[in-house]
Amino acid sequence: MELPLAFDAQLFIQLTVNGVTLGSLYALIALGYSLVYGILKLLNFAHGDVYMVGAFIGYGVLTALGGPLSLDIALVPLIVLMFLAAMLGSGALGVLIERFAYRPLRDAPRLAPLISALGVSFFLQNSALLLLGAGFRSYDSFLLGSKQPELFVPGPLVDPVFVIHGVNVQTIQVVVVSVTVGLMVALTLFVARTQLGKAMRATAFDREAAAMMGIDVDRVIASTFFIGSVLAGAAGVMFGLLFSQVFHLMGFLAGLKGFTAAVVGGIGSIPGAMLGGLLVGLAESYAAGYVGGRWSDLFVFGILILVLLVRPSGLLGARAINKV
Amino acid sequence: MKRTLVFAALAVAVGAAVAATALGGNAGSDRIGSSAAPTGTDGALLRCGKTRTIGVAAPITGDAASIGQQQLRWAKYYVARYNATHKRTKFRVVSGDTQLPDTAQAIQVAERFASNSKILGVVGPAGSQEVQVSSAPFRSGGLGYVSGSATRTSLTNDGTRKGYFFRTVPNDDQQGPKVANHIRTVLRATRVVVIDAQNSYSTGLSDTVEAALKNQGATVRRESVNEKDTTDFSSLVARIPGDTQVVYVPWQLAPKAQLFGQQLRAAGKTARLFGSDGLFDPDSFKIPGSLVSFFPIDLKSKVITAYRRGPGKGATELFGLPSYVAADVVVRAVDKACRNGTATRGEVRRNITATVIPKAQSLLGFTVKFVQKANAPLGPGDMQRPADFGIYQISNTGAYVRVA
Repeated sequence: MELPLAFDAQLFIQLTVNGVTLGSLYALIALGYSLVYGILKLLNFAHGDVYMVGAFIGYGVLTALGGPLSLDIALVPLIVLMFLAAMLGSGALGVLIERFAYRPLRDAPRLAPLISALGVSFFLQNSALLLLGAGFRSYDSFLLGSKQPELFVPGPLVDPVFVIHGVNVQTIQVVVVSVTVGLMVALTLFVARTQLGKAMRATAFDREAAAMMGIDVDRVIASTFFIGSVLAGAAGVMFGLLFSQVFHLMGFLAGLKGFTAAVVGGIGSIPGAMLGGLLVGLAESYAAGYVGGRWSDLFVFGILILVLLVRPSGLLGARAINKV
Repeated sequence: MKRTLVFAALAVAVGAAVAATALGGNAGSDRIGSSAAPTGTDGALLRCGKTRTIGVAAPITGDAASIGQQQLRWAKYYVARYNATHKRTKFRVVSGDTQLPDTAQAIQVAERFASNSKILGVVGPAGSQEVQVSSAPFRSGGLGYVSGSATRTSLTNDGTRKGYFFRTVPNDDQQGPKVANHIRTVLRATRVVVIDAQNSYSTGLSDTVEAALKNQGATVRRESVNEKDTTDFSSLVARIPGDTQVVYVPWQLAPKAQLFGQQLRAAGKTARLFGSDGLFDPDSFKIPGSLVSFFPIDLKSKVITAYRRGPGKGATELFGLPSYVAADVVVRAVDKACRNGTATRGEVRRNITATVIPKAQSLLGFTVKFVQKANAPLGPGDMQRPADFGIYQISNTGAYVRVA
């Protein structure tokens, strides 16, 4: 293991910015795990692959509208369209998965839907491999919207919005964190104040009692999958815009880390997902920056083990598990 | 329920940690391979028939699928071109998915090929660690195998695979010193960062270049990253000192190197990237001013152009090109062995050893001919000189221009 570098404020800020950005992505993925677990007590291991599909849908829209280096429309409407298409497409995929892979197993032993989830995960990965190939597809976010891509002049997404102690905070980083916070707030309000949100909480609390009270449990569960998958689709596009490369296996590790974030924060808790995501993102970033990239996963999953040993319900999990 | 969740999460965490450790530990797999004595299969007489069969071992799925599929497509492209121009004889490809870095899969593929009596020769495997673990099954089956990407020097120099293993790429000891010399004498860089990708290909090259640079007085900082699983290199970029002149990245995934280069630029760092042959990919790696080592090829070759229009679907996928040459070597050897209607795998191996592909036909920019006796850094199974690496620079328009 390499020795940590001497403390350097600029490096620390850079790693913090990177960690918060990465953590925002994990938080969005974690929310999908949390929502589904809250309602069905199911660990939806296919969730990371829904995120992968979302990233590919965003890429499809980008390609259909001219490709990253020769856009047919302005950048902002393009990005809005990419988000909309990916969110709707992923949401629809989530509903389909619930309908065909989980609903028939709802009364089966707990292991059956878990195995079904793994099966769906492999199905989606290999479908993407078969249909789209093994190569990486690039959003080319460094040059996306550039006026002179042929001269390698960076596009507006990597322009610095502000500078902290010599560290550039890029437009795309601000967009990712802002969109994540916005979606979190919207989801919190949705769950707390709408009729469907109340139905979701009632179903999470006691599915049978909710059904007896006239709640259409199937619809509520399908809606939960839709919402969780919508967030995964948004995270997929954000990933493409941040890190350019999308490929068929991208959902596996991201899904694991999203799941880790959900458990660390307290699975079933919306603020817990955000907190867990940020912790995982920051841990990964600091570990990569101070210790070395090869150790970052060790730290991330080490945190998971530590939290499970000390506080098995997660940092914010105690209240939220029964309240979602 | 809470207990179930805890167990599931612990299982995931432990599994992920074990997987990460296992993947990170590939560099130590050098000792896995062993040689075995040839068996009776070596001399078994096979009826060639009109359609002959060769095996292609490559990581077709899994983490390295993006490069394995290139190799398979290039090998199949050679066979398709051969079949289109030969009426009397045809070749068929049996593919084996080695799923690099899972070496257990490579062993299974080698055993399957060895036990398939129709297969007379093999293209692949892709990775040096795969070659090591496949050696015993290939040898016991009497099969000759020609890799288009396994570059570790010891594969030919340790003498254990003589007459069985061949490669259509120069080895690490040809590539590393050339890169180091270019960095010191042409670029005149004294502050260099070397970033290995935590696999045997990359650590081997990194060690060679680092040692050569230090011998020539350069200050070298070594970093390491799991190229395959890393999606964000910004924390690694933050570790690179601002006054670094060259960053050497002997990686195999060009899109990842492209992302790393973009993040380096976005962070305001001006160090020049220097990639190994694994990054010779004009479709994906195009950071202006960067350099890449690769063997001399004619980028305007009709075959490459036709590949781009055909199976490449718009991409040249040049990392797979040596597998085209490897397929050429194996097919020529099988054809020669089958002249009297029958062949043995031993005959095919001996024919591979004696293969000569003239410069005009080889696509590699030189005559392909294999070394018979060790002559460091070349060993039996390596290509004879002038097979060597060239240095290419990426222009502002993304074109690869040979500079050395």
